[in-house]
Amino acid sequence: MKRTLTTCPYCGTGCGFYLVADDAGKLVAVEPATGHPVARGQLCVKGWSAFEFVNHPDRLTVPLIRRNGKLEEASWDEALDVVAGRLAEVRDKHGADALAFFSSAKTTNEENYLMMKLARAVFKTNNVDHCARLCHASTVAGLAATFGSGAMTNSVSCVEASDCIFVTGSNTTEQHPLIGSRIIKAVRNGAKLIVADNRRIRLARLADIHVRWLNGTDVPFVNAIMNVIISEGLEDREFVETRTENYEELKKVVAKYPPEEAAKICRITPKEIRDVARMFAAAERGMIIYSMGITQHTHGVDNVKSLANLAMLTGNIGRVGTGVNPLRGQNNVQGACDMGALPDVYSGYQKVTDAAIRAKFEKAWHVTHLPAEVGHTVTTAINAAAEGDIHGLYIMGENPMMSDPDLNHVREALGKIDFVVQQDIFLNPTSEFADVVLPATTYAEKDGTFTSTERRVQQIRKAARPVGQSRADWEILCDVAARLGYDGMRYGSPSEVMDEIASVTPIYGGMSFERIGAVGLQWPCLDRDHPGTPVLHVGKFSRGKGLFGPADYRPSAEMPDEDYPLLLSTGRCYFHWHTGTMTRRSRLLDREERFPYVEIHPADAKKLGIRDRDWVFVATRRGEIRVMARVTDVVIEGVIFMTFHFEEAPANLLTINALDPVAKIPEYKVCAARVRRAP
Amino acid sequence: MKAYTSAELDVFLKSLASDYDVRVPVEADDGTRVLGRPDDGPPALAGGALAAKPTAVFFPHFDEVLTHDRDRLDVQKPVEKPILVVGFTAQDADCLEFIDRFYSENFRDDIYFNKRDGSVVAVVSGRCGKDGAFLKIAGGKCDLEFICEGERFLVATYSKAGKGLAAKLNGGEAVAQGVLETLRKESDALPTDDDELLRCASKLLLADKVPDAFWDAISDRCIACTGCNLVCPTCTCFEVFDRTGGTTVRRYREWDSCQLEGFMREASGHNPMGKQFQRTRRRIHHKLAADVTRWDTLSCFLCGRCDDVCPTGIGIKAVCREMVEKYG
Repeated sequence: MKRTLTTCPYCGTGCGFYLVADDAGKLVAVEPATGHPVARGQLCVKGWSAFEFVNHPDRLTVPLIRRNGKLEEASWDEALDVVAGRLAEVRDKHGADALAFFSSAKTTNEENYLMMKLARAVFKTNNVDHCARLCHASTVAGLAATFGSGAMTNSVSCVEASDCIFVTGSNTTEQHPLIGSRIIKAVRNGAKLIVADNRRIRLARLADIHVRWLNGTDVPFVNAIMNVIISEGLEDREFVETRTENYEELKKVVAKYPPEEAAKICRITPKEIRDVARMFAAAERGMIIYSMGITQHTHGVDNVKSLANLAMLTGNIGRVGTGVNPLRGQNNVQGACDMGALPDVYSGYQKVTDAAIRAKFEKAWHVTHLPAEVGHTVTTAINAAAEGDIHGLYIMGENPMMSDPDLNHVREALGKIDFVVQQDIFLNPTSEFADVVLPATTYAEKDGTFTSTERRVQQIRKAARPVGQSRADWEILCDVAARLGYDGMRYGSPSEVMDEIASVTPIYGGMSFERIGAVGLQWPCLDRDHPGTPVLHVGKFSRGKGLFGPADYRPSAEMPDEDYPLLLSTGRCYFHWHTGTMTRRSRLLDREERFPYVEIHPADAKKLGIRDRDWVFVATRRGEIRVMARVTDVVIEGVIFMTFHFEEAPANLLTINALDPVAKIPEYKVCAARVRRAP
Repeated sequence: MKAYTSAELDVFLKSLASDYDVRVPVEADDGTRVLGRPDDGPPALAGGALAAKPTAVFFPHFDEVLTHDRDRLDVQKPVEKPILVVGFTAQDADCLEFIDRFYSENFRDDIYFNKRDGSVVAVVSGRCGKDGAFLKIAGGKCDLEFICEGERFLVATYSKAGKGLAAKLNGGEAVAQGVLETLRKESDALPTDDDELLRCASKLLLADKVPDAFWDAISDRCIACTGCNLVCPTCTCFEVFDRTGGTTVRRYREWDSCQLEGFMREASGHNPMGKQFQRTRRRIHHKLAADVTRWDTLSCFLCGRCDDVCPTGIGIKAVCREMVEKYG
């Protein structure tokens, strides 16, 4: 019987808990950690179940090599030789940029750092990215441009200090339950709650105002809110004058969005816009919370900038209880970004295009000629593969055949790649394209750190022996590098990797496993004496002055029409996690949501002759899948909602591969669809 | 009568490891008090109710109960050594008594009693609660009890096993006569407001005076984390399921939660408890009304865990308080 304090592997909230292993070393329970500052001895349903998938019999336990079309068991030596050999062959034949590396927001900071180091130092390509591209790429770009730092400005604890919380595009109680629960508590204690989301999510039931505007009309909605605030003189003039720039430009743009005009685009009433504007502007400590309802659009960066504009206009930045707070989805998506598993930056958002930065990393890594061109993103790499320009792909802990938009396009792209190596804990639909599969360990079988949405760097600790021959991702990456003759990736432990990260990454400069301890440390943490930073932009923005980034309305790429009259929006449910590999192997979670489903409004269902629990076909221009109908007024008329958890009916077969021009994030939240009863 | 320091009890409990599978409260990395083996961390007898329910030593969260491989069928082996568990509160002992009844009536649950039979349970009470609180003295319903008189612990025994163990205790210091009596009086004088609250809520539920609208409003604040069930020492529901890997089928039983939609869903998909307010009501109604009819007792003994673990503040005490304020 052993208890190990660790960090939850599901969402970005960063709850701590204990994993309990029995005397045989098998995980048998999760227990609460009462001293943990975020969890406070509480968890959500996924957290309570987070031990279950670890010992599932489906776990990958030995390396696999594809021979004659079949994945067959192999030794680690054989598999690693093939991986190193084939990747080198692609590089030698087609050039380094014919390779792409998909890192993983599910793995540790140390592993993300090593993946980008492998891509850059060993293979000399910046083609490294991960699933942040699919969730918060818009945030990283939008907040970096306006504030100078692309992360959540405040801390989870700030929720209970706010007196008005504006939640938009975040089903917080389902996707960040322990943050959602703090919102519920804040409301009980008198805080105002504005929910702008056309689904009737749980928070909507408790909201002072629930606005159900049409998907994809975020920019006119927020512009109209600012229009009201400015025209009624409700802005924080002192903040605007002393802390920001480009205000005149903002005024000019939002002047084009009077509530009466915007309301028509958003399909709401001008009164709703005015009510929201007045309530938020009246707050002493107004907080904006958002997630993928804002980011996953072809205008995702504009959406993020608009929210940043609203916060600056009302002076709600740089204080406890305020801020612009993107809730990061994965357990370590913040960390994977921080570590530079992105095509344009090294760890700590240091640009690859900056010669001085490259020189610094060349010196630290003992290499020369680090690439200066920005590399491919996850989404553009798939597009390039479809064009025949990517010949080798290394996928660590991602499942593009479920998670990326327009799966037929992904299928075509992956099918054209000469060599694919997949490193994961279970086989998944992407394995169909893998030439080598390397069995990795789960979060419960290794040490390392995750960085939560509030920039809290926390440890995960080995609670059980790795199953079979599985090995930690960091060990595998180091072995690949060694086989390619690179001597700069030899470490005794993840703690040593963190020491290297701290030495080259200013915002992590003061981090070490010792300092991170039991409760974590929030970046920026510049040196060993720095206490960490719960609230960003206090007194001064990271970029100096806050930059208003006004945006005009651009409609979504594919709106409903005669052939496809419904608007399809995709997302997640409470009980499953992303592509389902872990939660569908956890009994109670799997039992709770057994079937792929589509939420459809009763009026739409009636028109189509569909009853609750009927099987239906949902089709878009890209494909068709069979799912169960859930007839509910959670969605508005004309809009349907699906989750992307189900392998047997993958929603991303339907989604559109239309990208934000800056962030390259796909438009998962809007495309045109139709529904018919399954015969 | 003698009293023993925490260090003396620690030595004593460690000395029992050859005869018992000893579980005691120890302090874990973030300060949480957990039920571990004596060597797992600094001893932490003081502090009140443990965050996780101590009854889990007999009814674990996730238990492999049967393995089938080709022609071979293995059921759970008898425990190697009887379990000695220290760290129940008086309320936990009440809960244990209740689930002992629950698991022994009609169908005797052999998986539960495999661990429970022969076990020894020790309550910790007296002046060692959280933030100086006095912990109610059980005075029975366990084998022995460590009653804190401030610095040291008196040892009261209630069963043959308890007496046998206490006889092996070394050291200690004599205490003045009447100390135990004083402590008992202090225990008897503890406020009973929460008990009264629960009884009042129970009466309201039995008289059907709480409308659906109340539960609807409470359930709006429930995020279905299931924590209330998972920490409740009188929640006894479990799910049974199999996992197949190669030729091996393993059967598990795992704590279930009546807060989940799937708990009562029928094969057709129809669910008689399909609305969330019904599930919110069910948990509390069960403990304060249904069990009163069936077992002649409330089955909430105010251990306090669901109020601590609920992320949104709708543990049983909090809900009863609202209920009594509105309808009492």
